[in-house]
Amino acid sequence: MRKLMDTLFTLAAYLAGLFMIATLLAVLSSIFGRLIPALDLPGSDAYAGYCMAAAGFLALAPTLRRGEHIRVTLIFNQLPARAQHILDIFCHLVALGLSSALAWFSIRLVLQSREFFDISTGLDATPLWIPQIGMAVGTSLFALAFLNDLVLLLAGQTLRDASPDGEPARIE
Amino acid sequence: MDLTITLLLIVTLFVILGSGVWIGLALTGVAWIGMELFTSRPVGDAMSITIWSSASSWTLTALPLFVWMGEILFRTKLSEDMFKGLAPWLERLPGRLLHTNIIGCTIFAAVSGSSAATCATIGKMTLPELKRRGYPEHIAIGTLAGAGTLGLLIPPSIIMIVYGVTANVSIAQLFIAGVIPGLLLAGLFMGYTIVWALLHPDQIPPAEQKFTFFQKLYESRHLIPVVSLIAAVLGSIYTGLATATEAAALGVVGSMIIAAVQGELSWKNFRESLLGATRLYCMIALILAGAAFLTLSMGYLGLPRHLAEWISSLGLSPLMLIIALMLFFIVLGCFLDGISIVVLTMGVLLPTVEAAGFDLVWFGIFVVLVVEMAQVTPPVGFNLFVLQGMTKKEITYLAKHAFPMFLLMVAAVLLLYFFPGFITWLPQQMAG
Repeated sequence: MRKLMDTLFTLAAYLAGLFMIATLLAVLSSIFGRLIPALDLPGSDAYAGYCMAAAGFLALAPTLRRGEHIRVTLIFNQLPARAQHILDIFCHLVALGLSSALAWFSIRLVLQSREFFDISTGLDATPLWIPQIGMAVGTSLFALAFLNDLVLLLAGQTLRDASPDGEPARIE
Repeated sequence: MDLTITLLLIVTLFVILGSGVWIGLALTGVAWIGMELFTSRPVGDAMSITIWSSASSWTLTALPLFVWMGEILFRTKLSEDMFKGLAPWLERLPGRLLHTNIIGCTIFAAVSGSSAATCATIGKMTLPELKRRGYPEHIAIGTLAGAGTLGLLIPPSIIMIVYGVTANVSIAQLFIAGVIPGLLLAGLFMGYTIVWALLHPDQIPPAEQKFTFFQKLYESRHLIPVVSLIAAVLGSIYTGLATATEAAALGVVGSMIIAAVQGELSWKNFRESLLGATRLYCMIALILAGAAFLTLSMGYLGLPRHLAEWISSLGLSPLMLIIALMLFFIVLGCFLDGISIVVLTMGVLLPTVEAAGFDLVWFGIFVVLVVEMAQVTPPVGFNLFVLQGMTKKEITYLAKHAFPMFLLMVAAVLLLYFFPGFITWLPQQMAG
């Protein structure tokens, strides 16, 4: 089970990476499209946005697995181990609830966009349900990752030697 | 009764945040409660569509690309090259090689959007070199902690993109507006170092080798890659040839070329930079998603409007308001990261700021400067964490020696308040 989860999240991480490359290519194509009109791909701006969204959402779960998402640990780190464990279960319950809601309504968004045939207002005229799949898949995996961690926590395991202070440093 | 509920929401937010729930999700949760209480609109659908539009917006695409560029450059020998290129020029200046910290950070900040990355990249080169040559460690650390924060103020800058997207201000304008204040702050840091060196001449080791002018010029060849990259990225924005997003794409390609020329573009480095950038981006994206939803919810509550009315009824002078906001941000910065501070407060504060007559570009630079201060104040200051990782010193020791830099940043805020032209002049000269 654990193996399967790991494979799934690693796959999501690589897929997110591919979408990151696609974002770059879409932006580059808009530059070249302006220089050489023959190469112009209408709506490449919008494609860049879709690829970025897919990259961001798909990376949610793998990033959580590495314990990198930002949380305030000021109080958390002061507590004794037992209290930390209980508080962590609480945090995971809240997160599971919210991420499940996000996943549920993202899937609903895909279905609704398809049903009402929502089309991008940009030059690309993409049916929006297609790029929105990335969000639905990414948020579902995110909820799954929280569920997985919560089960581990309830079984009394520690998740990872969390030192969330160091990693997020790189974003600023 | 609205006020009570609003206050309750704010308290709830801080309780959830403080308990350690991931920031982006905590914002989503509070936004959800707020909307349930104040509207009859279906909350879940509003959430998914708001988050989708914010996560797929074209303006935001500059962000992941600049993050990626930084991840690539972090894995090159750029900082080593910069030390070699800069050191010969600085031997004559009081403080000598201490200035490699400041000038190195200033230059690297012009290709990096992050303060901590700037601090780490430059520090991994300068700290050991300065120590080996016998420079006092505390001043080396202090100047690095301060100068590292220039990564935020000197474009490209992740936090400026976040502010620009949140406040709906042109990112290109913000970037260009940050240039002069960034150089001004670097100048203040250098001035401080010079004064310190003149007061403590015995602590600065003597110059090592004499270079002739032509030797110095020749050594400067090491700076060519970084300077060309700056020219490509900032030049294309300033001349209006490229948008911030396009400049970011050029930057990614440029930094890959630099890595390739240095022989550092292995498959392993490429994969690590790519996956690292995706994860870093998604950490920011989660917070931005939560904040977009919270802003929507706050709008229904009318909180921004009420706050603006309340603050204008206080009759504060603009200077008082700026000082009050500065204190407020510094307090928030004691336990939140800069991006969370910006997205949390901007949705609520913007009407107030506009009502007080501040230019939003000017205000953006002010916010960035204050977030820089937060980088070097304990207990949560990301530059201090980075330095702690590198030097294994106590955070209190680091904070103490970074404190003079903190004061210089306060001085910079006041200077920019009284001379707003430092910020507004350059963007006005921009093409387009």
